[in-house]
Parts: sequence; C-alpha cells; structure tokens
Amino acid sequence: MSLAAEAFVSQMAAAEPWPETATLYQPLKEDQILLSDCASSLAVQAYLRMCGLPVQVVCRANAEYMSPSGKIPFIHVGNQVVSELSPIVQFTKAKGHSLSDGLDDVQRAEMKAYMELVNNMLLTAELYIQWCDDATAAEISRPRYSSPYSWPLSNILAYQKQWEVRRKMNAVGWGGKTLEQVYEDVSQCCQALSQRLGTQPYFFNKQPTELDALVFGHLFTILTTRLTSTELAEKIKSYSNLLSFCRRIEQTYFEDKSSS
Amino acid sequence: MELRCWGGDWGLPSVHTESLIVLAYTKFAGAKVTVSPVDWTWKTLTATVPELLCGDSAVQEPTPIVNFLRKQRFNADFELSARQGADTMAYIALLEEKLRPALLHTFWVDAENYANLTRPWFASRSPFPLNFLVPPRHANIALSRILLTKGEAPLHRITEVEGKIYSDAKECLNLLSYRLGTENYFFGNSPTSLDAFVFGFVAPLYKAGLPSSPLQSHLRQLDNVTRFCDNILAVYFSSDHPCPPALVQETMDANLQKLTQLVNKESNLIEKMDDNLRSSPQHKPHRPDPKPSLASEKSSTPA
Repeated sequence: MSLAAEAFVSQMAAAEPWPETATLYQPLKEDQILLSDCASSLAVQAYLRMCGLPVQVVCRANAEYMSPSGKIPFIHVGNQVVSELSPIVQFTKAKGHSLSDGLDDVQRAEMKAYMELVNNMLLTAELYIQWCDDATAAEISRPRYSSPYSWPLSNILAYQKQWEVRRKMNAVGWGGKTLEQVYEDVSQCCQALSQRLGTQPYFFNKQPTELDALVFGHLFTILTTRLTSTELAEKIKSYSNLLSFCRRIEQTYFEDKSSS
Repeated sequence: MELRCWGGDWGLPSVHTESLIVLAYTKFAGAKVTVSPVDWTWKTLTATVPELLCGDSAVQEPTPIVNFLRKQRFNADFELSARQGADTMAYIALLEEKLRPALLHTFWVDAENYANLTRPWFASRSPFPLNFLVPPRHANIALSRILLTKGEAPLHRITEVEGKIYSDAKECLNLLSYRLGTENYFFGNSPTSLDAFVFGFVAPLYKAGLPSSPLQSHLRQLDNVTRFCDNILAVYFSSDHPCPPALVQETMDANLQKLTQLVNKESNLIEKMDDNLRSSPQHKPHRPDPKPSLASEKSSTPA
C-alpha cells in the first residue's frame, strides 16, 4: 500500500473498535497450506490472542489470491483487509491495542532487529527448504500447493510458484546455498534467539510482544510439521529454552480454548 | 592475503558497500591484507566483489569473509558476550531487510542519482567496452532485487514500493541512532563486526555527492551516526596513521584483561568468604587484631 493509503486505513481503523466478526483467512489447513504460510498465520493468531482480540480462522483455497499483497495470512476486520504481521500490528495499534508500548526506544530497536532476523533467516530458510530442495518440492510442496486444482492448472500453478520463489532466492543470494548451509544458518539463528531469551519467560521479560508471537509461530510450526527429514526440527530441539518457550505460549494462549 | 574490491572516492576507501564492510573489518581485527582494486580491469565484470584470496582459497561475500577471518584468529568480536553476539546477528538482519533496498534504490534506480553520479563513476572505472555493460548490469540486479523482495504481487511496479522502502530505511536509521546513543561504537569502546557492517552501509550514503536524496538529508540529521562514520574514518582510514599500531597489542591485552578480571573476581569472592567467616557468631575473634602492632613495627624499621 502506498503511504497515503496506509494513513487513510489507520484513520479509518481508529474510528471503530474491534468487531466480533473479525476473520483471518488462510489456505486449507489439512491439504494445502505449506510450512512458511502456516508459520506466518500462526504468528498472527498468537499475536491477536495475546492482545485479547477475538478472531475466527477461515480456510479458503484461494486465500493467497484474495490477499491484498499476495501473502498469507490476512484479516478482514469491518470493511478493511490487512495482510502480514507488521501491517496487522500497526492496524491493531491504530485501534488502541498494542503489546510493545512499555518498551523504550532501545528495546524497540532490539525487538524490530530480532523480528527482521526471524524474517531474514527463518522464513527464507523455510521457503528455501520448501521450494528449492528438489526432494521436498516434489514430494510435499508441489502436491500440497496444487491440491485444490485439477490438472493441468495444478501443474502450471505449482511450477509458477516454484519459479517465483527460486528467483527470489537468487536475488537475495540464497540461490547458491546447499541444504547443509541452510540448516547451519537456521541453527545459528536459533542459537541467537536462545541466547537472547535466556531464562526469561518472554523476550522482553514479563510481557509478550509481537516478537514472541512471531518466534512462536515459526518454531511451533517447524516442530509440528512433517517434512522429508527431521533435521530442521532437531536443530530447534537442541535449545531447551526455546522448546519450553513454545510450550508456555501454547499452554497460555491456545489450550484454554479446549478446556473451556 | 589479498582483497579484491572496488576503489575509493568521496573520502572513503571504497564506494561499494560490501567492499567497505570487509575493509573496515580487516582494520578492526588487525588483519593485514593487500588491497587490489578491480577498477580499470576486466574483473569489474567477471569477478564477484569483494573477494578475499588466501593461499588457495577464495572467499566471497562479506559474511563468509568475516567468518573466514575469524577462523584465522582475526576476531574483532572477541570481547562480546553471547547475547551481544546474538544482537549483532539481529542488527545485521535489520540492515539487510530495511536499509539495503533503499540504498540500492538511491544509488541505482533513482534516475537522477544514477545518471549523474553512479553510472559516470562506475563507467569511468571500467575499461572499454565494459563501461557500457557494468553499470546497467548492477542497476538491473538492484531493481530486480527490490521488486522481488519488496514488490507486492501482482503489481510489480517500482513506484508502488518506493514510499514504503524509504520510510522503512528512515525508521532503520532512527533505530540505529537510538541503539548507538552517545557511544563511539555499538558495543563498548572497541569496534566489532556490527560496526563494520553499519559503517559499510551508512558511509556511502553519508559521503556520496547525491543530487537528490531525502534519505541522505535524513541521515545528516542523525548526529551520532554521522559522528560514528567520521570517527571510524579518522581513526582507521586516515592517511596519516595507516594502521593503529596498538591494535594487535590490544587483543593480547584483552586476553590479559579477562584473565585479570577472573582472578580479581576470585580473590574478591575469597575475601568475602573470609569476612563472612570472621564475622560469623561462632568465630568470635579470640585474638586481638594484630594489624596495629605490625604497623608500629613497620614504622620503626626505617633508619
């Protein structure tokens, strides 16, 4: 969105409170959704639950095409549609709900830096493993991505998406990396997150912030998704404080639904 | 060790961000490298710059080069704690995601800057006929990188993303300014790899004579960041002092310092334990304090 449109949306957002009918759209959970999209969607869901904002999750096969930026997930609130975590955080801030108000400038700089670390390393690694690794792409990504469509559209869409992602990987310099190097990068990223988290319950001590939601989304999805090899999940499991962090957020924000 | 990189201008040892990062890191870590600029050679087209040649191995790209130098024991991050190392990774990611697209746009995509500054500079430093090939190639790579990473499908037009990448870059510069505060470097009193990365990204934007750049004017308002760049240039790249002589000594002293700190901590602990033991109720001092008598003895010895 251009800056003027963003400012307009913020103003409209500030006018109304959060409605009960807010919905979050993502691809079909059982058959279609892929690792990276599932991670992003879970991060947004965790963030909204941390803010205490109710949202219904709706699965649609064409969610990617409905989204204004082409990225999953997006939320439909009132008469506005916002996609991706950062714009959603700004949108909820305009409505008066924010998790990072208590941070000072240096802490906010740190939080944004770590969010970019997750986006730069973890998300890119997920995309690489899904689409640039031939085994995973052939066995999991292409079949799942094209499952709602019939032949020959399924083939065309799957290969188009793979081509797009490979172009992007080449542009950011990940095209020449091997799978082992990618796993090594993920391991270093997890080490950095683990050292930053230390023994605290959340990244900025007592209160969760959008960084916690983002890290939870990615780590939880990697731990619970079946891929061709378990090496990615093993990298994360070697950091026990990250595992307990995921478990804690899952228990606090996601399991009360099943008990009530 | 030989380092191939783009040459310098505008008061900088190199105008190319990645080359500048590596040059700064070699100075900070005290690594002796011979700098061979690729200007006016065919390597402007064929080589990936920067490139570090050491014996048989050739390493490209700033992060692998920094890792390679660390393995060769040229480590500027020696004194950082684990958490500061994690912060380094995070801030480098911030620079890559938020600042790099805007820098690429300012130098290579913005029509006025490209026509008046970037293309003439790179064309003048490339041999004929490469001066027709090298600048457009870089410009295309820059444009495709911006569109692929920041462009919103399906409208891959540069005008849509311009506003966003510049506001992201300004925010990134502000965040760096908050983090730097009033210090000389990001972590304490000696520069680390993060300082090298920030210097490599920010210095060309600061020093280049760009005809039109709101981002440059924004940067010039951030006094501590500009002071940071000037300080590094004066200390490490000034032609009067080719290399700070105390650098190698400093790393050895750092080891000694750490050891001394550990020993001091241990002796402090032992002193505390001793005090606790003395002041505990079961061990009332059953002999008078011998110190006054020692002092009186000492005062009597000098003739």
